[in-house]
Amino acid sequence: MFPDGLSHRSPQERVRYAEILVYIAAADGELVREEIATIEAMMGRAMLHPESRITVRAGFEQPIPLEQSLADLDPVLAQIILRDAALVAAVDGDYDRKELTALRKIAKVAGASNSQLSALLDWVKEGWLWFEKAGVFLGQ
Amino acid sequence: MLPDTVHKLPREERFAYARLLAYMARIDNELTVDEMAMFEQRLGTALLSPGQRDAIRAALKSPPSLEECLEELSGEAGRLALRDAVMMAAADGTVDEDERDALEDISEHLGLREDAVEQLLDWTVKGYKWMKEGYELLDTLEE
Repeated sequence: MFPDGLSHRSPQERVRYAEILVYIAAADGELVREEIATIEAMMGRAMLHPESRITVRAGFEQPIPLEQSLADLDPVLAQIILRDAALVAAVDGDYDRKELTALRKIAKVAGASNSQLSALLDWVKEGWLWFEKAGVFLGQ
Repeated sequence: MLPDTVHKLPREERFAYARLLAYMARIDNELTVDEMAMFEQRLGTALLSPGQRDAIRAALKSPPSLEECLEELSGEAGRLALRDAVMMAAADGTVDEDERDALEDISEHLGLREDAVEQLLDWTVKGYKWMKEGYELLDTLEE
């Protein structure tokens, strides 16, 4: 939701970040509009170059295999990806089995244990509850 | 990022939403990296066409007046724009007087309750706290 230094990563790292998020969004089947909007938001926040965004969008049809994207990934970047992948996976309202499998693979690269991954998913849920509250005082 | 409804708005309303955010981004004549990242994030959420994106980025260079922005804005698009304008105003850590005045004007234009901006600012602070907890969770992974 908020900027977090991702823009200081190299252009190649930011593309890899976005490609993994596309993989997560597509893990449970065809991408829906909510998932595309989320990926576009993440690419915007990471301030990806417009041409890089076109490259990433090509993955909407056929995402890059996760193992390929995770190869030689900086563990600290993997941690940021894990956090944002958990947010992307939750967009359609639930964690699909394939999404969870992919999250566990990213967690392994990030050095996160199962309990840490579980804590991250709880954090995502808290974020959902926070975000929904805005609608209450906006009368939605 | 989180479940949102901006992408469900009609195309013209998404454009009006983004135009208001462009106005907010330039209100203090400064555009920090944090504000730009937030602006680009919201632009992404709006799923604008390439032509609309170009027009919005042009609006960043030469911002429209608040009155022009508000002419096009009402209903749900307006409320979502106010919500995200509050987040953008707070993105650099402070909400200055010009920003606060603009937020109150938007709220008044939309006919929202008097404390709407205050409520949204409190809500944004809670959001920052939530995000900080996310960073702290990541920090624990490094131990």
